[in-house]
Amino acid sequence: MSTDNSKHDLPEHESDAQHIDLQAQQIAGLLDAHANRLSMRTLKQLENGRERAVKAHAQLISGASINRDGTSSSISAWAEQHRMAMAGIVLAAIVAGFLATQSFKHQEASDAFLLSADLPPEAFVDRGFEPSLNDAHARL
Amino acid sequence: MASSQELSDFLRDVERRAFKQTVYAVRDDHAALDIVQDAMLKLAEKYADKPAAEYPMLFQRILQNTMRDFWRRQKVRNLWTTLLSSFGAGKDGEEDHDPLDTIDVEDESSNPAIQLERSQTMRVIEKAIEKLPARQREAFVLRYWEDMDVAETAAMMGCSQGSVKTHCSRAVHTLAALLQKQGLGSRALSQLGAET
Repeated sequence: MSTDNSKHDLPEHESDAQHIDLQAQQIAGLLDAHANRLSMRTLKQLENGRERAVKAHAQLISGASINRDGTSSSISAWAEQHRMAMAGIVLAAIVAGFLATQSFKHQEASDAFLLSADLPPEAFVDRGFEPSLNDAHARL
Repeated sequence: MASSQELSDFLRDVERRAFKQTVYAVRDDHAALDIVQDAMLKLAEKYADKPAAEYPMLFQRILQNTMRDFWRRQKVRNLWTTLLSSFGAGKDGEEDHDPLDTIDVEDESSNPAIQLERSQTMRVIEKAIEKLPARQREAFVLRYWEDMDVAETAAMMGCSQGSVKTHCSRAVHTLAALLQKQGLGSRALSQLGAET
């Protein structure tokens, strides 16, 4: 029974599938025709994109590397290939900057202490000053 | 390995369809141009060593992935736009059009009435395609517009061949129903197809 039904359904199913295909192809054909009527500006921009891609391809084949904007660059290629090294360099630069800032702040603090102290700055440079101060303190 | 000339020929052949396909998906001409240009560059840079025969599949995959990246970024942007929307004046839904954008390059018909009618019909079809669910639209475009077979479409979409058939069938039924509602039955479509 079911075999009979499927036999009867098959041509209808096939014709339905063919109808779907036909309709889909009609719509696709219209879309295709419409896609060929893009504005001048869009076509120009697509052409620019294509030329950039072809240029990149040609330069890659010849061994050079290029940037996103189409200009060649060996530094960006090197950075792309050595990401860990680049990360290390950036980290080292950050640490060096931090240490330099700290050193500058320490220098600033020392200068402020010297200038605001009651003693003249020469007293801190004199090597005999601290022992004599200690002696005076011991005598007291 | 494909030559630069082969790449150029391939891109020239697909760029218009790729652009329209992307416009249907993202509904923004400028974003679509960026996506297509990005996909072209990615193909050239990452698959320079591949033969030209592999370009159609590779390019479609790159294009689909670039569209997905766009959607991801768009989601984040939309979140902020929604949050800040009360501060700005909203759009009416219609973008400003540049006269240059509406100039057709290859419309051979000199009758403005025919041009207008054709343009309106295509607008209806395009709107219908934009309204399709993303997977159905993807299956329809790949299968019928890019002329891929069911197996290639399934590989491209990462699903079974049965799913592709289902998506395609549903897409065509939905499109047919939407077009019928606008008075564009199968006969009208074939008549329009013969005119173009």
